[in-house]
Amino acid sequence: MNWNKAIWTTVTVIILITLGLEFTYLSDYDSHWWNHIPAFYAIYGFLCCLAIIYFAKFLAKNIVNRDIHYYD
Amino acid sequence: MIEFLAIPGVILIVGALILPFIPEKLRSSVFLLFPLASLYVVFTTATGYSFSMDFLSYRLHVMEVDKLSRVFGIIFSITAFVAGVYAHHIKDLGQQVNALVYAGSALGVTFAGDLLTLIIFWELMAVSSTWLIWARRTKESDGAGMRYLIYHVLGGGLLLGGIIWHYADTGSLAVETLSQNYTIANVLMLVGVCVNAAVIPLHTWLADAYPKATITGAVFMSAFTTKSAVYVLIRVFPGWELLTWFGAAMAIYGVVYAVICKDIREILAYHIISQVGFMVCGIGIGTEMALNGATAHAYSHILYKSLLFMGTGAVLYATGTSKIVNLGGLFKKMPYTFGLYMVGALSISGIPLFNGYISKSMTISAAGYAHMEGAQLMLLLASVGTFLSVGLKLPWFTWFGKKENDIEVRKLPVNMYIAMSIAAFACIFYGLFPNTLYAYLPFDTKYDPFTIYHFVETMQISAMTLAGFWLLKKKLGGELIIALDVDWFYRKAAPATRLVFVTWIDNFYDRVEDGVLAIAGFLTEKFKNPMTWLNPFTDRKNKADGYSPAMDVVMSFIMLTFVVIAILYIL
Repeated sequence: MNWNKAIWTTVTVIILITLGLEFTYLSDYDSHWWNHIPAFYAIYGFLCCLAIIYFAKFLAKNIVNRDIHYYD
Repeated sequence: MIEFLAIPGVILIVGALILPFIPEKLRSSVFLLFPLASLYVVFTTATGYSFSMDFLSYRLHVMEVDKLSRVFGIIFSITAFVAGVYAHHIKDLGQQVNALVYAGSALGVTFAGDLLTLIIFWELMAVSSTWLIWARRTKESDGAGMRYLIYHVLGGGLLLGGIIWHYADTGSLAVETLSQNYTIANVLMLVGVCVNAAVIPLHTWLADAYPKATITGAVFMSAFTTKSAVYVLIRVFPGWELLTWFGAAMAIYGVVYAVICKDIREILAYHIISQVGFMVCGIGIGTEMALNGATAHAYSHILYKSLLFMGTGAVLYATGTSKIVNLGGLFKKMPYTFGLYMVGALSISGIPLFNGYISKSMTISAAGYAHMEGAQLMLLLASVGTFLSVGLKLPWFTWFGKKENDIEVRKLPVNMYIAMSIAAFACIFYGLFPNTLYAYLPFDTKYDPFTIYHFVETMQISAMTLAGFWLLKKKLGGELIIALDVDWFYRKAAPATRLVFVTWIDNFYDRVEDGVLAIAGFLTEKFKNPMTWLNPFTDRKNKADGYSPAMDVVMSFIMLTFVVIAILYIL
């Protein structure tokens, strides 16, 4: 199975559909400060994902990771 | 009497007493009757029903039914049944009895109308659930079970202390909403409940113990302890502002550790902390919609989290390992487990048409409507981490990730598939028909999750999380490690604690004992014959065991005096 192709197609299709909906049907541009930024949730989601992975990796490497027999 | 026996919690606990007398072959099936009976009672008892009885000089409201306790009663009974089906192949009486007592005491907490009844069931819950950890019978589970028990005894003690103080202050034992007021009594109760809700930094027992519990025990545990605490928080502490921020912080804390951890059941355990964070945050916001959201989320969470624990438990059962470094490439060998797990994973990630979507979006929207945008963005960040850790990382490294895996796969008992299917069905059912759940929520507020706004929000976030995961997935695998948490303070402190409270105190007593003996020896020696040191002109040494005529004369004289006085008295 070609994972690469499948994943990127899924992501692209979902983003295109939701962007389409966002620009045609959505009229809520003012209930939060971020509502007037186009594709805000896509950008926010992606940045959060990177932030969590890198932050977790940083924590793991520098602070929390120990050998499995640490408490023995 | 009949009314007392018809209390849902009591039904299960009485069931636990009956269970040992049932022949082993029938025991697992009979087990299932009690949650069903309890479910029947919960459904047929009208809201407003109250049953009270006298105990010592108190009037205990052992069962009180309103919309809030009923919705928790329903889901606790359903889970006890589903987990019972999942554990149907188990022949361990100790586990079965304790699982029933555990579920029963969670139900007891739910319907308790006064704090005394509540604390009794609360403590019972701690003790019976510890058994489900110890029943694994490994060195790790022994230690983790003990730490779990100590933690919960401490939490229960704080709660009891708070209850007594509260009673002394107000004279009331009713389980009722407290206005936000940080008195000592309230703080003690709040902290006691927060231990069970795994609010950071009091959460370490959860991540420590759940991955080490038995396969079936973890399914029970994922449902009851934290969610009964959430119930008490909703009932007693709604709108306590501090909870909003602790909840939002928990939601993020849990997912960060879920991304770090390399054991599939540990990932799920940390993730419970994150999910309970959503509920605690909603309770802190305290609007009707937020409390509905917290309740709905607890309901949904119990369903999909037990499904996820059943799925990972099935992997552990089949392969004998839960480390992601040894897993991977299992799709061809366990396709059904994968499918059922993914229903839970998509639910917990809040994908539309699954039940997480209808409850998570409610809590997040409630934060938005209350104009707590900071909290709202934190919860959205946590949802990203949820999909990343439980929805993508865990299944990828378990069922895919490797081309082949020559690990031997045991056949699963049919009952495991049945239990997972029931839970998966419920996840999809509530996802498609949210009003079947909304109708049971404590407050009547209109909420429609199926709006274009929510759909766009959720799908954009999820799609881009998928993209991020795919780009960086290599960073997430790896060898099993211990991720340090605040339990470091008490686990690493154990030798120091032992030194101060055991060794030093032992040494102190030893010294005192030596000293007392030395003084006694010294005095015996000196006073055996005081003449040796009172009379400076003698050179006789005083020996403790030596014969000393002088002392004999003195003693004889004293005895004689007694005898003479006695004779005179009688005469």
